[in-house]
Amino acid sequence: MRNVASKLVSNKAALLGLAIIVIIILLCALAPLMTPYNPTKPDFSAQVQPPGGAHPFGTDKLGRDILARVLYGGRVSILIGLSGAVGGMLLGVIIGSLCGYFRGWLDAVFVKVAELVSIFPQILLVLVLVTILQQSMYNLIMIFIATGWVATFRMVRGRFFSLREESFVEACRVFGLGDLSIAFRHILPNCLGPVIVQLTLNTAGFILQEAALSFIGLGVPSGTPTWGNIMNAAKEIVSINQYPWVWLAPGLAIALFVLGVNFFGDGLRDALDPKQI
Amino acid sequence: MLKYFVKRLIMMIPMIVFISFLVFVALDLTPGDPLTAQFSPESISGLTHEQLDALREEAGLNDSLVVRYLRWFGGVLKGDFGYSIQTGTPIGSIIANLLPATIYLALAALVLSVLMGLLFGILSAIKHNTIIDYLSSLFGVIGISMPEFFIGILAILIFAIQLKWFPAQGRTEIGATFWVNLKYILLPALSLGLALTAALTRYTRNSMLDVMNKNYVKTARAKGLSEWKVFYRHVFRNALMPISVLICLRLPMLIGGSVVIEQVFGYAGIGSRLLTAINSNDYQLVLSIIFLLSIVSLLSSVLIDLITGLLDPRVRYN
Repeated sequence: MRNVASKLVSNKAALLGLAIIVIIILLCALAPLMTPYNPTKPDFSAQVQPPGGAHPFGTDKLGRDILARVLYGGRVSILIGLSGAVGGMLLGVIIGSLCGYFRGWLDAVFVKVAELVSIFPQILLVLVLVTILQQSMYNLIMIFIATGWVATFRMVRGRFFSLREESFVEACRVFGLGDLSIAFRHILPNCLGPVIVQLTLNTAGFILQEAALSFIGLGVPSGTPTWGNIMNAAKEIVSINQYPWVWLAPGLAIALFVLGVNFFGDGLRDALDPKQI
Repeated sequence: MLKYFVKRLIMMIPMIVFISFLVFVALDLTPGDPLTAQFSPESISGLTHEQLDALREEAGLNDSLVVRYLRWFGGVLKGDFGYSIQTGTPIGSIIANLLPATIYLALAALVLSVLMGLLFGILSAIKHNTIIDYLSSLFGVIGISMPEFFIGILAILIFAIQLKWFPAQGRTEIGATFWVNLKYILLPALSLGLALTAALTRYTRNSMLDVMNKNYVKTARAKGLSEWKVFYRHVFRNALMPISVLICLRLPMLIGGSVVIEQVFGYAGIGSRLLTAINSNDYQLVLSIIFLLSIVSLLSSVLIDLITGLLDPRVRYN
């Protein structure tokens, strides 16, 4: 554990990534303190102002302050990304552990399910659900969880396959420990490293996905600003050229945050890799 | 060799059936009258309620789910997808017009990404720990962090509006030659494929570095093989497997991503049509498109598997 931590701390890119993540999360969480403006209330006296003066990032077509929208929107985007990733991780860990330990028909079924889920482009699944149900933040998180468990599942299952043949497992059985206890209390902690790395990757991926869906208008409903929603304004050619600040700020926010997550995730993966010194 | 191919192709069939069943169930769950989706607007416009009810009974719309599914699937196999509520035209013709455009886009993105990703990755592996390596690692991380549509919008701003090298929107012009069409497809394909290029660069570099340190490479060199032969026969083909796994994993993202990229670039393909269909609650069209895109995704992952099986024998005997 100490070894992992020291390797991580010496990796400058990973530290930079962590710093970026923490700073952005803090800024978004403290949004009411950072800006006096309301992110959803239009102000027709100040439409499409370029950055400067009272509005450090400018305003959009309805006069809403862009900095405020980016900060409040960040809360929603990061929340969706994180909850989807954590939910997917939990689901993947549980199913992967059970399948990896007990094998048999359970395993065969879930491997097929996982294959099917990963063939579908995630956006298509979202679109199917949007067609049948309403658009909402919770439906989006549900879908992310329903599609995000596959990678973690495969990883945990693979580790279980190799670990269950180890002698400490036999020792546990001799002691009379039940199957579930062996699986979750003894084998699982040895799999957590790659799972946490996958968690960071999934967070990044879901934030990007949510942005894309909200951008085309099928993610979070437009009443709630998210980083993708704000960029919806850039669908017309006019705004791309004439009001670049409207879409540059949220786009850069997404890129910067995901970059931080990727740097940190890379650093974690390198620190946890036993092959590297 | 042939056995592997055939086995892989046969395994696809139950998947296709299963996907089609899921899609049909979803279609069944959507609100709306299935009658409008199965008959052209002209044929049902003047009918009274009783006549419509009788038509429903005759068309078998009151039958059980399984029977209706089999009937729908039979129609699909013949190319009959029903009618689009929006435009009143048969869905089959809409798909025939637009699906090839999307496939060209995704294919162009795939080819460009694989070529560039492999090239950059191999270069950084060969020249690793130099400035080239560092720059392409940076490119790699940034490329997978930016949202695709953001890359697309930036590309439009820089290359189409400011520099005027490429058209900003659209798919083709009247009387277009191959080269004109190429101009239209280049920016969308590059934007769609950038994330894959970046991921491939990283993976290729790591995979090659792994292999280059292996003993069998040293043996090959000691045997006196030319550097090129060492590279192609031993390093490259062995590094290929994780690379193709990556491509397989990211293929669905290319197909899904084309929905968004088509919207950004105003590229008239099946993806942007899907979005307008959703917004007009044209369920039959929505689900037909989703069904087809899933099949395309399935087919392309099998194709990549087959190509890898050709290049790397270990895959075949897995």
